[in-house]
Amino acid sequence: MTSYLDATVPSRSEHLWRYTPWSRIHPGKVDSIPEVDVAVIKSKDIQLSTVPFEPLPTTDIARIFLNEVIQETTVVSCDEKEGHIHIHAGGHAVAAHLHFSCSTNSSIVVHLHGEPDWFGLALTGDTNSNARLSVGIINELSSDSVLVRVDDWDVHRDARFELATLSMGGIRNKSDIRSTLAGTNASLKQFIAVHGHGARHDDHHIEIHHKQPHTTSHLMLNAACDDRSHSIGTGALTIDDIAQHTDAGQVFRNLLLSPTSRAEAIPELEVQANEVSAAHGAASAPINQEQMHYLMSRGLSNEEATSMIVEGFLVDSFSGLHSEHVRDTMQTRLTVHLECQLIG
Amino acid sequence: MLLRVENLHVSVGDTPIIQGINLEIKRGEIHAVMGRNGAGKSTLANVVMGHPAYEVTSGSIYYKGQNIADMEVFERARAGMFLSFQYPAAIPGVQVGTFLRKSVASVRGDAPSPRAFRQELNEAMKQLDMDKSFLSRYVNDGFSGGEKKRLEILQMLLLQPDLALLDETDSGLDIDALRIVAEGINAVSQTTGCLIITHYQRLLDLVKPDVVHVLIDGKIVQSGGPELAIKLEEEGYDWVDALV
Repeated sequence: MTSYLDATVPSRSEHLWRYTPWSRIHPGKVDSIPEVDVAVIKSKDIQLSTVPFEPLPTTDIARIFLNEVIQETTVVSCDEKEGHIHIHAGGHAVAAHLHFSCSTNSSIVVHLHGEPDWFGLALTGDTNSNARLSVGIINELSSDSVLVRVDDWDVHRDARFELATLSMGGIRNKSDIRSTLAGTNASLKQFIAVHGHGARHDDHHIEIHHKQPHTTSHLMLNAACDDRSHSIGTGALTIDDIAQHTDAGQVFRNLLLSPTSRAEAIPELEVQANEVSAAHGAASAPINQEQMHYLMSRGLSNEEATSMIVEGFLVDSFSGLHSEHVRDTMQTRLTVHLECQLIG
Repeated sequence: MLLRVENLHVSVGDTPIIQGINLEIKRGEIHAVMGRNGAGKSTLANVVMGHPAYEVTSGSIYYKGQNIADMEVFERARAGMFLSFQYPAAIPGVQVGTFLRKSVASVRGDAPSPRAFRQELNEAMKQLDMDKSFLSRYVNDGFSGGEKKRLEILQMLLLQPDLALLDETDSGLDIDALRIVAEGINAVSQTTGCLIITHYQRLLDLVKPDVVHVLIDGKIVQSGGPELAIKLEEEGYDWVDALV
């Protein structure tokens, strides 16, 4: 295993670290490994067990670092289950690793709470042959937390995997989410909704790798950015030469709510197969004034109308979710979050 | 007097659209405005509602005796003004039911109880022959022209405005839908002042106007009773041009 202290800190010329340098999201001095506590993970309806930590693939500095500081793996029992997992993080620095292995049908929402200075989260999982797994991740960390999240998901033959993220908390967030379509006829749907407010910096890097033929993937990232917030969405879609008849699409949409908010959307494709359908699109726009006028003509104030449009824009990113449990939970938490913002 | 428009001039950018309109509407009156495309009919409705794209260059609009020049759009709505849009905006991700509940709460200043609101909503939807599945759809997103117009009238029934501005509410409706929408307008017209913008006599067969105005090049050039709409239907606008 590569040691963190022997690893080279990546420069900003690397695609992965261009917008959020590693030094900005390391929990201390970049050449040190601070003491990192274990996050508290609880669930009333999902069975959890703890096993020794299996190191993550050492493909990048964040995973190498997390290999040094994560102490244990929490295995999530995905057996025809529908439920919630709550991860409470507190103190200076905490870390957690959740591993999902699903062979049936399951819908699970993971809630991130607490006020840590730094939280390192690793998520790994296998959606095994013929299984259906839906996972929702809701980031409701306090407004000054830093989140480093790395995901490694494998979707096997004839399996369906949905991954939804609702990102609303923390001050700086770097998520590196990687999925591999490892079996024929595997399917992945990924949805990400970002609400940028205050000075939030929210960077999502999404890698999707089609390794087998007749696989499908769909990615939608909607970011609504207010105040001085900054959202980044970078996609890397790879289709191997044997992955013929792949159907892949990526859409990045940004809604800019203030003149000082910023958003980047950079989808990238690497297609080696010749009989595939691969599409990508990116768009950024301010709020639609005809929508504002319509809502205000129905009695909503400027702030209420804006909030409703933002909610609709972000909810729309989840509309393709098959799991009602995940979709309804995400929508409810988003509504509560936006109403709290409106009240101030 | 519910609405009084005095010598109103309106521009979009440097282009004058309305050039001196005078109009008075009392509660319970139905006024119809007819005219060719581009005459300024929709501009009149939008400027009364306070659309920010239109600039009032001179003249005044009084609502319930108050000059509303400084009132925001949402304040006009809360004061009892309602505009049925010719082209209602789609709001993806916002369910019709959620939108209606928030809108009613905003205009009334107090949210009705969920039970009372549901009952009120069910009655209004039944009146307009609307299916309940409407409520879980996103506002105007993927709606047909007729569905959009029904949703506009549903909102009018729920918001119970004092002044209703109906901008080509009859366009895109088949005969049955037109009859249902007309019944909706008639249901509120006893207590509401209505300004109906239309191209066609067929709506005015079902909703009897008290006054019909003909708008040409941003000016009302002729006003009269319902017979004026019939004459326009039969003879077109050429004879009106001679009056200008």
